[in-house]
Amino acid sequence: MNTFLFVILPYICLAIFVVGHWWRYKYDKFGWTTRSSQLYEDTLLKWGSPLFHFGMLGVVGGHVIGLLLPRGWTDAMGISEHTYHLFALVGGLIAGAMTVTGLVMLVYRRRTVRPVFSATTVMDKVMYLLLGTVILLGIWNTLASGVFGLGGKEFSYRTTVSPWFRGIFYGQPEAALMADAPLGFQLHAIAAFLLFALWPFTRLVHVFSAPLGYLTRPYIVYRSRAEHVARGLGNRSPQPGWERPSLDTSGTS
Amino acid sequence: MTETGLDGPLTQALVGTRRFFTSAEVSADLRTMHAKGGRKGDAFYRDRWSHDKVVRSTHGVNCTGSCSWKVYVKDGIITWEAQQTDYPSAGPDRPEYEPRGCPRGAAFSWYTYSPTRVRYPYVRGVLLEMFREARHRLDDPVLAWAEIVGDPAKATAYKSARGKGGLVRSTWPEVTEMVAAAYVHTVKTFGPDRIAGFSPIPAMSPVSYASGARFNELIGAPMLSFYDWYADLPNASPQMFGDQTDVPESGDWWDAGYLIMWGSNVPLTRTPDAHWMTEARYRGQKVIAVAPDYAENVKFADEWVTTAPGTDGALAMGIGHVVLKEFFVDQQVDFFVDYNRRFTDLPYLVTLEPGEDGAYRPGKFLVAGDFDNAEQSSENAMWKPAVLDERTGEVVIPPGSIGHRYGDEGLGKWNLELGDITPALTLHHDKFQAVEVALPRFDSADGSLSHERRGVPVKKVDGHLVTTVLDLMLAHYGVERPGLPGTWPKGYDDPSVPATPAWASQICGAPIEQIIRLGREWAQNAVDTGGRGMILMGAGTNHWYHSDQIYRAMLVLTTITGCQGRNGGGWAHYVGQEKIRPIMGFQHLAFALDWVRPPRHMNQTAYWYVNTSQYRYDTFSADELNGSTGVFAGKGTMDLLAQSVRLGWTPSYPQFTRSSLELADEAGERGVPAAQHVVDQLRSGDLRFAIEDPEAPENFPRILALWRANLLGSSAKGNEYFLKHLLGTDHAVRASEAAPEQRPTDVTWRDEAGSGKLDLLMTLDFRMTSSTLFSDVVLPAATWYEKHDINTTDMHPFVHSFNPAIAPPWQSKSDWDTWKEIAKAFSALAGKHLGTRKDVVAKPLWHDTPEAMATVHGRVLDWRKGECEPVPGKTMPVLVEVERDYTAIFDKMTAIGPLLEKVGMLTKGVAYNVQREMDILRSRNGEARSGAGAGQPRMETDIQVAEAIMHLSATCNGHLATHGFKALEKRTGTLLHDLSAEHEGKQITFADTQAAPVPVITSPEWSGSESGGRRYSPFTINIERAKPFHTLTGRQQFYLDHDWMMGMGESLPTYRPPLDMARLFDETPVGEQNALGVAVRYLTPHNKWSIHSEYQDNLFMLSLSRGGQTIWMSDLDAAKIGVRDNEWVEAVNRNGVVAARAIVSHRMPEGTVYMHHAQDRLIDVPLTETNGRRGGIHNSLTRILLKPSHIIGGYAQHAYFFNYIGPTGNNRDEVTMIRRRTNQKVEY
Repeated sequence: MNTFLFVILPYICLAIFVVGHWWRYKYDKFGWTTRSSQLYEDTLLKWGSPLFHFGMLGVVGGHVIGLLLPRGWTDAMGISEHTYHLFALVGGLIAGAMTVTGLVMLVYRRRTVRPVFSATTVMDKVMYLLLGTVILLGIWNTLASGVFGLGGKEFSYRTTVSPWFRGIFYGQPEAALMADAPLGFQLHAIAAFLLFALWPFTRLVHVFSAPLGYLTRPYIVYRSRAEHVARGLGNRSPQPGWERPSLDTSGTS
Repeated sequence: MTETGLDGPLTQALVGTRRFFTSAEVSADLRTMHAKGGRKGDAFYRDRWSHDKVVRSTHGVNCTGSCSWKVYVKDGIITWEAQQTDYPSAGPDRPEYEPRGCPRGAAFSWYTYSPTRVRYPYVRGVLLEMFREARHRLDDPVLAWAEIVGDPAKATAYKSARGKGGLVRSTWPEVTEMVAAAYVHTVKTFGPDRIAGFSPIPAMSPVSYASGARFNELIGAPMLSFYDWYADLPNASPQMFGDQTDVPESGDWWDAGYLIMWGSNVPLTRTPDAHWMTEARYRGQKVIAVAPDYAENVKFADEWVTTAPGTDGALAMGIGHVVLKEFFVDQQVDFFVDYNRRFTDLPYLVTLEPGEDGAYRPGKFLVAGDFDNAEQSSENAMWKPAVLDERTGEVVIPPGSIGHRYGDEGLGKWNLELGDITPALTLHHDKFQAVEVALPRFDSADGSLSHERRGVPVKKVDGHLVTTVLDLMLAHYGVERPGLPGTWPKGYDDPSVPATPAWASQICGAPIEQIIRLGREWAQNAVDTGGRGMILMGAGTNHWYHSDQIYRAMLVLTTITGCQGRNGGGWAHYVGQEKIRPIMGFQHLAFALDWVRPPRHMNQTAYWYVNTSQYRYDTFSADELNGSTGVFAGKGTMDLLAQSVRLGWTPSYPQFTRSSLELADEAGERGVPAAQHVVDQLRSGDLRFAIEDPEAPENFPRILALWRANLLGSSAKGNEYFLKHLLGTDHAVRASEAAPEQRPTDVTWRDEAGSGKLDLLMTLDFRMTSSTLFSDVVLPAATWYEKHDINTTDMHPFVHSFNPAIAPPWQSKSDWDTWKEIAKAFSALAGKHLGTRKDVVAKPLWHDTPEAMATVHGRVLDWRKGECEPVPGKTMPVLVEVERDYTAIFDKMTAIGPLLEKVGMLTKGVAYNVQREMDILRSRNGEARSGAGAGQPRMETDIQVAEAIMHLSATCNGHLATHGFKALEKRTGTLLHDLSAEHEGKQITFADTQAAPVPVITSPEWSGSESGGRRYSPFTINIERAKPFHTLTGRQQFYLDHDWMMGMGESLPTYRPPLDMARLFDETPVGEQNALGVAVRYLTPHNKWSIHSEYQDNLFMLSLSRGGQTIWMSDLDAAKIGVRDNEWVEAVNRNGVVAARAIVSHRMPEGTVYMHHAQDRLIDVPLTETNGRRGGIHNSLTRILLKPSHIIGGYAQHAYFFNYIGPTGNNRDEVTMIRRRTNQKVEY
């Protein structure tokens, strides 16, 4: 069972995540969108959206540090366990609070503002449910483990969950590392992978289209035609089967 | 000075880093970036606007828009449409035709693949099952049909299922065989005149109109009119101008100095033309809007005149009073005097008859035959009215009257050149005699008659006491002159007598000062601009019972001030007035006049008044309805109609109580001419007109075919009576039939009115409508993007084409192809059942022919009463025996017949020889190789029909135009043919219309001139070339002296209030409340989101509007019945029930509700609280009310022609109760 949940499922989900994005990009390029509802309402959105999105950036950053950086590296940098813990806890809770507040506002807005609700798809609803579950489980884990110290002493995810997670990318995931983790962590991980599997089919694809380039883009962009080899007249490249009139002016044929 | 740069230092810094991240060149000022390539994304946007093809087409919808559209096809699918911009220029110094097109037209492509598209032939299931069974058993479709309709149980089974669903898919071969069998059976058993076809407005797609019309006329079935039935025909036009309707194109609004929109909501109903009206204001034009509500056009106007609905006649008379007093009595304006001497009947002499009360009554026109003069014994002497020559003091006969129009003596004299004659407009000079005349007025609340006694100057002519029309009119309008006896108003502010501004104000509600101002401005503008004052008249003034009177009062304004026949002047009647410019070719081909003459033409209002048994619900005498003048005392409207029919004034089909084929056979057996046989039979009483016994089953209409039409969703006044009597299905009629003493006397009254009279209702359409829901057979039609046809209107002087963007999808066919299929199947079955038969056609006395000189002085003589002999073509209908080879219907339909060469063509009294055109058509279309049409030009495809129409019409064929003018010149003796000389060599072909809209050629078919590229305005040829109007006097005629007109008190234009429905029908008076809610006037104007029933079911229009059936009402009325916006209301009167949602708006006046017409029963129609059945449509609350003056015939301009004159299907006098539904949760 553990092998399925913590080895097979992650790979299936990641496979869907990767192939799904490729498929979506290829076949639904014009559906690759945030499905923005800003036109319908922006008073709530003005606060909810930045809270959620910047909170989320913090959460993702926290996960990068927590999951991808091996404990040895921080030790080597001379960061004590206590410092790390304090930083992770405080940072995590602030980011978590922002994310949850933002999410609650956005969900409230989505449900109560009629035009926005009308523009909500079933996929949106499923995605919100899963995303909310993952976020709430994550916060619960942080609180339960780091603040309330449930289960006696704090659970050291950096020696269990993180190596397991990294193992997935090495190709050597060890289910056993997750087997003893608290239920909250297990559920968080499973829900998160399910979310990855759903990801390509939702509006979450916009994560990969964040318009970072806008920050540095001059106001007007000109694109001249690409030069075609042996191009004829007009702005299309020569099509097979047709001889194009040539611009060759040498006079011979 | 502002510093240039990006938005701020931060932006500057950020954008400044771009050059590190890109190989593209970033400009020094950081504003632009130049990249090479990376344009793959463009492909999408290029593809978005690349198409398989772009095809020109238009919309054959009854809207007068005639907008040409580009239809886009992508991957074989019609994607959308966009406006064409290649119209001919309107001229160098004026705005152009485009932009043209409205949201409705732009939404049309939705229909191609809409859920309500008719994709396959459908037949009502219960009927189809019976037919299949009988067809199989009897092995003969005709006998199978005969068995079903002959068996009361079977017939009731499918007739009572009408409108209740159950349409099942059939196949083309099966359905055409069944339909053909029905036609064959009906022709054989009852006669061809028991069949009828209805399709409106040929101008919107004449080829499609001609398809079914040609089939029907070839077999001898009447085509039903539309213009009068739609209540769009302004009877004032034939009465005054002797012309159906002729109006200026919208581009001519630009020429007007003063423009009154009177009951015409231009931006709403003439959307693509409305731009002219706003543009003209920049030229200094003054714009007035007359409307009871804050209508869309009001906001464009300089002044808003609010009037109570239906009182426009009073307003017009009030304005007329001011014009007559200040510009005809207080001063004489040369411009007006000259115009009226030449072009109106104001100087004509009218005899006065002494009345019992000592006052005289206006009588008949004094004509040449009445007194001693040079022309007393000339040809048609009784048809040449007289004037007093001011110069010599003698009474003389000016040329140009109807008496000069026919006969050899009149050759070269039918013109308006007065020569030495100076007609006196008035007899009021230094010395004169005067008498009192009694003039009728109807301005009391119930519309009843009283008389006003006023003096007119008179003169004795050979024992006749005469006065002029102007003298009568001044008396009638209450304009006092010195020395005349009688009661006259004390001034403008005297409201007690007609027709002062105060009197008008009291009736219509507009302020006195406004009425005076309008009068002065109107007349002064005419003087200053040479007659460039225009009135756009709309349905708001035209759909009333007495609208002919309203119009005549308005036309007084445009005519006495010399505005008619001017660019930028005159009347502009914009109510369903589509003009089929190539009318001659269309008319001859659509009505199969190339094969057989005369056609059977029927006025549809009378047809349904009789055949939906609505006459049985007339619970009052015709006299009471018309203001109790006494002339029709004791007679029902139905009696008058029957009289009009037997005198040959108005058509009536079914014709006689026996089949017209049978009558021909009987005559053959007796060996006498058919006409003689019919007269003998009628005289003996063995034969009667069918209208005299309409409830006898043998006189029922049996088959009705609809194409391009939505009778039951749009035009069927008295919808519930149609359902009850014609179709025999569920209905909501609440009225009771007339009591014995109220019934018609000349018509047999059977105890049981017919129910389910019609055996077959067939509709060709591309979408489901109220009509298809009730039809027994529904055939899938091609849309306007799937066929070839042409399109014209009167608001634009060009012709352009329909072209198929895709082939008709699913199993749909163009109308032309469908009727060809039916004709083919019919011809095949006819071999066994019909063969060649003789048919006696009864035709009314036609306008623009000598038949219009049947009734001397308009004195009515009835042969039935022994007042004269029954003489066909004189005192009764023309009776003609024709031969019909029923096996050759298909051959004849698809080839142009020989009569065009043998007899020629005749349109509006002008004869044409078209041998040359027929030879061209033989080359262009090819010759038919075999069958009845062998050697004749082919007409198999829709394009060939379009070519034939355009080659045979002077508007599209310059040679024919010149030829026609030359023929007309022989009669007028004046120069005319130069009008079309510039286009003598021009022939518009179908290919031309495919390339771009093509301007038409000035033609004798119409009264205006486009020569030299001028804008079209009606009657410019009459005014500029002295060509007479087609009236008795040859002038524009204010005075109408027919017995019935005089009897109704309508010799002169007069104000008549809306009908008093409380008195006539026992409805609750407007404003009162009871358990059924509040009583309100019920108007059914045009809808902003549809063109009649078209588009109201279109998803885009449903989204833009509220969607579904709605009734607009004022906040005040809504408060009375406690209804809030968008709540469900129910409207109930004696005619039926409507359940709809209320739109509560302060723009509505109190006491009036609007239910925009033709909101079909397909969209959001719930069950009613009143009877638990599905709610009705707008026409569920209306019914037919027929005005006798519209069925006068045989007298000069009062003579019948198809859609030229006829009783209107008016509907605006109606009232209803309206209340909030107690249960707001509706069920469907």
